[in-house]
Amino acid sequence: MTEQPLFDEKTRRKLEQLTLQASRIRAGAIKGERRSIKRGTSIEFADTRNYSPGDDLRRLDWNAYGRLDRPLIKLYEDEEDLTVHVIVDTSASMDFPKDGIPEQHKFDYARRLMAGLGYTSLATNDRLFITSVGAETQRFGPARGRAYSVRLLSFAAGLKARGATDLNAALRDYATHTKLPGLCLILTDMFSPSGYLEGINALLGKGHEVAVIHILAPEEVDPTIVGDLRLIDSETGAGQEVSMDAGLRDLYIRRVAAWRDEIRREISKRGAHYIAVTTDYAWEKVILYDLRRLGLVK
Amino acid sequence: MAFLAPFALIGLALSIPILLMYMLRLRRREVVISSTYLWQQVLQDNEANTPWQKLRRNLLLILQLLILLLIVLALARPFIIVPAVSAGQIAVLLDASVSMNSTDSPDGTRFDEAKRRAIELVDTMSISDTMTVIRVAGAPEILISYTTDRVALRAAIESAQPSYAPGDWNAALTLAAAGAAGSEDYAAVIISDGGITEAVNLPPIPGDIEYIPVGSSGENVAITALATRALPGEPPQLFAQVTNFGLNDAEIIFSLRTDGTLFSADRYTIPAGNRLAITDFPPLQDYTVLEAAITYPAEGTYTDYLASDNTAWTIGGTSGARRVLLMSEGNLFLEQVLRILPDVQTFRGTIEQGMPSGEFDVSIFDRYLPPVLPAGDLLLIDPPSSTSLFTVGDETTETGNIRVSDDPLMTFIDFSTVNVRAFNRITASWATPMITADGGALLLAGETGDRQIAILTFNLADSDLPLQIPFVALMSTLLDWYQPANTIVNQTAVRVGAPINVRLIGDADSARVTLPDASTRTPRGEESTRFFTETDIPGVYTVELFAGGELIASAPFAVNSFDSSESQIAPRPTLTIGGTEIGNEVEEDIGQQEFWSWLALAALIVLMIEWYAYHQRMNAPTLFKPLVRRRV
Repeated sequence: MTEQPLFDEKTRRKLEQLTLQASRIRAGAIKGERRSIKRGTSIEFADTRNYSPGDDLRRLDWNAYGRLDRPLIKLYEDEEDLTVHVIVDTSASMDFPKDGIPEQHKFDYARRLMAGLGYTSLATNDRLFITSVGAETQRFGPARGRAYSVRLLSFAAGLKARGATDLNAALRDYATHTKLPGLCLILTDMFSPSGYLEGINALLGKGHEVAVIHILAPEEVDPTIVGDLRLIDSETGAGQEVSMDAGLRDLYIRRVAAWRDEIRREISKRGAHYIAVTTDYAWEKVILYDLRRLGLVK
Repeated sequence: MAFLAPFALIGLALSIPILLMYMLRLRRREVVISSTYLWQQVLQDNEANTPWQKLRRNLLLILQLLILLLIVLALARPFIIVPAVSAGQIAVLLDASVSMNSTDSPDGTRFDEAKRRAIELVDTMSISDTMTVIRVAGAPEILISYTTDRVALRAAIESAQPSYAPGDWNAALTLAAAGAAGSEDYAAVIISDGGITEAVNLPPIPGDIEYIPVGSSGENVAITALATRALPGEPPQLFAQVTNFGLNDAEIIFSLRTDGTLFSADRYTIPAGNRLAITDFPPLQDYTVLEAAITYPAEGTYTDYLASDNTAWTIGGTSGARRVLLMSEGNLFLEQVLRILPDVQTFRGTIEQGMPSGEFDVSIFDRYLPPVLPAGDLLLIDPPSSTSLFTVGDETTETGNIRVSDDPLMTFIDFSTVNVRAFNRITASWATPMITADGGALLLAGETGDRQIAILTFNLADSDLPLQIPFVALMSTLLDWYQPANTIVNQTAVRVGAPINVRLIGDADSARVTLPDASTRTPRGEESTRFFTETDIPGVYTVELFAGGELIASAPFAVNSFDSSESQIAPRPTLTIGGTEIGNEVEEDIGQQEFWSWLALAALIVLMIEWYAYHQRMNAPTLFKPLVRRRV
C-alpha cells in the first residue's frame, strides 16, 4: 500500500465542485443544500396541481384561478440534506496485488475512491457515514462539513485490509443498524462465497439507494500466472491446484466476464447501480464520469 | 500374440523413475491470490464440460508412459501367427532379369512387386527360419547368405536393383541347390514372371520349390534385331526387326537417328504375336552411332510395359577392320573362318562377275587368279597357273613329314595332325617356305615390291586342314602378318552382359570405358588386350585409349538387349524345373509376423504429440497479451 497522499490538490478542487445526489432523494434529518423530490413548503415554486377538498387555501394560486377559472394549488420544492453511506470492503482479498503496480493495488484504490466520495460529501454538507467491513468493523461519522476532511483522510489512512468478509452478513447488519437511509456506496471486490444479494436486498428494503463499485485488479481479470501452481486464497488460506495454460486462461477470462454480467444483472434488476472497474482505470474518473453518468454525482 | 524377446518387457520398470521424476517436476509453485472463489468455479466448469480435462494436468505423464510402453513392446518384438509360404531354410530367388523391369505391376515394376513379396516372406519367418536371397541376373548374386536377421534381410532385398540382362537360372538354381546340402527342411522360393529360358532343362532342387508369379500383362513390342551390312562399293544397308509379343495389334513409330540427328521415322502396324522385318530404309550416310527406337503415336492406345527393349543401337563404319576380298567358287570353310575372325570385314566376289571395284587390304584367291593381280596383299590358295611372281610346277603327293619352320610367324602353328593329299610345287624367289613336306613347300610367304604375299600350294579340299583348329590359327596368323588390326574393340555390338575385348593399339598404355550413364570404368587386365565385362546397361559405350595420359584413340560399341525370351514378358502361371511343374504358391506353412515397426512408428507419433503438448505449455506465456488498460 502506498503512503502517498490519497489525492492531490487538483483532484481535491475538482471534487469540491461536485455534489452527490440520489435519483430518489431521501428525507434527511435537517434541511440541506439540495432539493427534495417531495413538494413541500419551501419558497421555491415547483409546479401546480388541481385543487382537492381539504387543501390549504393559502397555497391556492389565485392568479391562475383568475386566468383559467380553475382552482390550482401551488407546489413548492422542499430542500433537505442527503445521507451518504460508504461501505468499504477491507477483507484480505482487497490487499492485492501485493507485488504489483502500487497504483493498481485494490485496497489502495478503494481507499482513494472512498476518500474522494467522502470529501465530496463533506464539501456539500451531506451527512456522511463510512464503514469498513472486514476482519473488524471501523466506522467514521456521522460527519458533516469540510471540517471533517482531515479526520476523514486520517480514517482512510488508518484502514487495513485483513481477514475474511461475509458480504451478505455485513450488509444485512449495516442495514439493520442504519437509521437514516440515503445514498449507499459499496466498494468491494465481491469475493464473497456467501453471496451479496441478501445484503443488497436488506439495504434497498431499508430505503437506501445502493451503488456497488466492483473493484478488481487487472491480474484478476486477465491472469498472467502460468504453469503448475497451487493458488492460495488470501482470506481462507485454502489451496487450489491449477495447471495454467492458454486454454484455462481463456476459460477464466470468460468466467470473470460472466460473473460480472451476472452481478450487474442481479443488481440492476433490483434498481441498484453497478459499476465494474479495474484498478488500472483512474479512480477519480469513477467519480467524475461513471457516477455522474448514473446520476449519482452532479 | 507372443514375444520374440520377452525380456525386453523388463524395460517397463523404467516407468517408476518416470513417475518419480514427474512427481518431482510437478511440485507446484504456491501463489497467493486474492481469492480462489472464481478458480474453483472455472475448474468445476472445465471438468464438467470436458471429461478428459481431468487428465489434462497429467497429459505429459500419460504420453510419456505410453511412449515407454510402445518402445518396450517394440523391443520385445511381438508377433502373431500367420500362414506362410515356406518355413525352415529358405532360399529366395529374386528374378532381376530384363523382363522384371516391366511396369504392369501395381507396385511399379515387376521387380518392385517381387521385392514386396520377398519382404512379405521375411515378415512371416518364424524365429527358427533362416533365409538367403539370390538375385538372378546375368550372373546370380547372393544378396545375403542364410540368416535369421530380418532387418538385414529386408535391407538386402530393398537395396536390390533389376538388371538389363537375361537371368542365368541354371547357375542360380545350382547355387540355391548347393545351400540345400545337409538341410532337412529346405525350400526354394522363386519370385519371377516366369520368363525363364529353357526351364525344362533346369537342374532339380532338393526340398520344396515354391513359385510366386508376378506381373499381369504380356503387352510389349521390342526391337529384336538391328544390323548393317555393306556390299563392296555400296553404302551400308540396314536391317531391323520389330516383334509384337502382346495380344493386341500395335501401331508404332520406328525412328532412326544417326549421331543424334533424326534420319527417318515411319509408322507401322504390327499384328499381335507377329514380327516385322524392316529393310526399306533410305541409303545411310556416314555415321558413327545409329539409334533405332520405337515410340507410340499420341492417339494410340497400345501400352508397352517394357521400355528397355524399345531402343537399339548399331555402330557404323568399320574403321580399323581389315577389308578382305574373297574370290572363290565357293568355299564354306574359308567363309566361315573369315566370319569368326575379329576385325575382318569380308567382301565376297564371284568368279563369273570378276573382280569387284574398291580397295582391299587383303585379297584371297582360292584356286583362281584374275588376269591382273590387284594391288595390296595377297593370299593365294592353290593358284591354277604361274605368274610373274611365282612358278607353278607339277603336282606331287609326297606330302609326308610335314614340318613348320622356326620363323616367328609360325610360332603358334601346329601341323602335326594335318594331312594333305597332294599339292603343286611352286617356287618363288622372294618367298620363304614356312611349312614344307617331303615334296616341297606347302606354304610360302614373303614380301615382294610393297606387298606381302602368301601362297598355300594345295587345294583345301585335298586336306583335312579346314576341319582342324590349326586352320583358324593359320588364317589368323596370316591376316595379322599382312596387316595387324588397329581396332580397339573386338566387336562393335554385343548383348547385355557379354564381355568385350579392348585392345591397346599403338602406344596406348591405358584404357577407359564410358558407360551410357556417363560413368566411367577401367577395363581389367595387364596385357595389351583387356577385358570389359560391365556391359549391364543397354546403350552406346565409348572406349578411349591413352598414352602417357593423352587421348590417342577412341571407339564406340553398342550393347543391346536382343533377347526374345526376355521381351516375351507375358507372365507364366507355372514353371517346370527338373521335370516338375510348379504352380502358384499355397500358404500352408506357419509363420510369425512381427509388428514391432508399427509400434515404433506409434511411439514416434506419440513422442511428437508429447513434444507438441510440452511446448504448448512452455510457450503459453507468449500467448498472453501484455496487460493493457482495461475498462469494463
